[in-house]
Amino acid sequence: MWLWNKIKQLTIPSRTGVVTLRYPYKPRPAPAGFRGQPVWDHTKCIGCAGCASNCPARTIFLRDICQEIRILIYDSSRCTYCGRCADLCPEKAITMSENFELATDNRQDITQTIELFMMTCQRCGRCYDLEIKNALDKLQMLGYRYDSLEVRKVIGQSTPEFEPEHLEKTATYRRPEKLEKSSCGKD
Amino acid sequence: MSRKEELLNLLKDKLRGKFLAGSSLEDKRLFIDIKKEALVETASLLMKEGARYQMGVGYEAKKNGQGLAMVHTFAFDADSLLVAIRALTTEDKPEFDSLTPFIPGAGWSEREYIDLLGLHFKNHPNPKRLVLSDDWPEGIYPLRQDVPYDLMPPSAEEVAFRLDEAPPGSSIIPFGPFHACLHEPAHFAVYVDGEEIKGCEYRGFMVHRGIEKLAATELTYNEIPFVAERICGICGSVHSVNYAQAVEAASGLKIPRRAEFIRTIMLEIERLHSHLMWLGVAGHLIGFDTVFMQAWRIREKIMWLAESLTGNRKTYGMVIVGGVRRDIDLTKADLIKKTLSEVEKDMLALEKAIIKDKAIHRRTKGVGYLSREKAVEWNLVGPVARARGLDMDARRDHRYAAYDEVKFDVVVADSGDVWGTLVVRIKEIYEAIKIIHQCLGKLASELQGSPLAIEIEGPVPAGQQGLSVVEAPRGEAVHYVLTGDDNRPERWRVRAPTYPNLQAVPDMLLNNKLADFPIIVGSIDPCISCTDRVAVIDRKTAADRILSRQELEKLSREVRSKT
Repeated sequence: MWLWNKIKQLTIPSRTGVVTLRYPYKPRPAPAGFRGQPVWDHTKCIGCAGCASNCPARTIFLRDICQEIRILIYDSSRCTYCGRCADLCPEKAITMSENFELATDNRQDITQTIELFMMTCQRCGRCYDLEIKNALDKLQMLGYRYDSLEVRKVIGQSTPEFEPEHLEKTATYRRPEKLEKSSCGKD
Repeated sequence: MSRKEELLNLLKDKLRGKFLAGSSLEDKRLFIDIKKEALVETASLLMKEGARYQMGVGYEAKKNGQGLAMVHTFAFDADSLLVAIRALTTEDKPEFDSLTPFIPGAGWSEREYIDLLGLHFKNHPNPKRLVLSDDWPEGIYPLRQDVPYDLMPPSAEEVAFRLDEAPPGSSIIPFGPFHACLHEPAHFAVYVDGEEIKGCEYRGFMVHRGIEKLAATELTYNEIPFVAERICGICGSVHSVNYAQAVEAASGLKIPRRAEFIRTIMLEIERLHSHLMWLGVAGHLIGFDTVFMQAWRIREKIMWLAESLTGNRKTYGMVIVGGVRRDIDLTKADLIKKTLSEVEKDMLALEKAIIKDKAIHRRTKGVGYLSREKAVEWNLVGPVARARGLDMDARRDHRYAAYDEVKFDVVVADSGDVWGTLVVRIKEIYEAIKIIHQCLGKLASELQGSPLAIEIEGPVPAGQQGLSVVEAPRGEAVHYVLTGDDNRPERWRVRAPTYPNLQAVPDMLLNNKLADFPIIVGSIDPCISCTDRVAVIDRKTAADRILSRQELEKLSREVRSKT
């Protein structure tokens, strides 16, 4: 009986043939609707920050460097390609491209930066009126965000209870005995 | 009187003053608040009524000035009822009575909160460190609200986990964290007497990522599904659906029926790929690589199907709170049907070819045996439990999504060993195909043109509890959500199916041969992740070298331009 099984096992590969693709020698295009690298269309972007506020991986950063210029940086190194930014963009300025071969040793290769020239509201001095319910409100737009682009750290939505003094306080926590006493800090 | 009211009256009756409140938004959930002195009494009452212990949830309810809370959840499978009991304690004396002496499956749930919240459990038989790394400083409890999510204490070199003494007459063989026969970073100290396993101690949680803390401090309701999906590389959709269901239950949100059907289809596609993957790995672990090659060949079709449906092979990204993101239209439905018929045909051929092979029988029958009673005691779930004669399946017992409208059989085996698990998993592949066909029929006929998701109107009310179960390919996954302010949950707890199953592994290993260790651990299907590099071996000198990046690029570009 088991011999019969062994013969059957032999016939399976001969029936199916070779299934291994010749990738990467022969490119394999992604199917329609694939969620690859997101691409920003700077002509459509209105700088509403909906993508930055709703990115689960927090990989889209925004900063107003002066009254008129807003900078948006997409840092792909941590992107999970969920496509949430493309879903939520009110102007459909973001498309999920079919490009998935993104391995690189230089982060700049996969970083996109957009400089947006913003108009100033004559009444409030800011870009948008937050009093009236509009599409931007639905995206939970924060009127003004200050993301530190140098350390790529989001400040806008961090823990409300977090106090900088807290880190210093933890230095006095009791530590395992074999540890040398050192201050407890973060990078 | 329904079972829920019966239980509520019973508890009110027996506990009297110690019963504080009972509430639930849904009819199949029961949330009870009790005084902490009554915790053991309530739990043993529920267990006597036939409950199955699920998990413990600890959190800090500081915002309301309440101190620390501990929730234990129980399932009544026959009555499709989930019960959660919550007790509070003060921060200056954070002590609860332990449930572990009479519910062994609660052991890890309680140890977890000794580490993460600084709770004490009176009479806990083994209050060792479980989650935190060995050099984590004492006195910092990461789930407390005053600890920031990104706190990184400096690491220490000389601190090590103190393993238990081996029983007399046996010696210890260490497995892991990195070992050829383990596919996940975990450490097993296996006690052996000759070839026979006499016991083992487990030290895991080496890839603890603090996702629950992140969700409670950083993310918002509709960002969490995408992070939840990345809890597991195999059953991602399970966790995102489960989380979304828990939030929807807590906020009383009713999602469109079409979305529920699409969720069901995605869950079953995931089950197909997971079962095929496990079958391959099981074959690999017993040295039967034909199974591995063929099962993974069949599985690849499922992966490509998922890629065309959702935009990615594995992280589907289909689920948001309130519905799904992408539709399955008629062309996609045809693609699913075509793929499924191919998979079914291939799978039947593979099953026929391997099922009577001596290699499989000798390596799996009687291996990793656990009796039905032990399986109940350890609260086993999923195929591991069904292989031990426990007729339980969350899809049937706690109907969610669209499972109330589809017909399928729950596959149960009673051999109690790895062979039983194998049979259950193979049979479930055909059941999953059946379910998807039924769902596609419904989508095409009745549910045309209905919306995919509904918008959440206004903020989700804070302080509501939601409890949800989903039958993952490996067993029942449980999510608990306590809604909070700032558009994010105050507490979100995930219990994956491996959590209870892994606790029973030492019992499964007992009196088996050491050579069967890989397949016994593999039979509960722990996660797999591996990284590989391209190595070139010169046949003449047998010397191997690693290709540099430039060489690799050059090679791939040259050949690519030729083809």
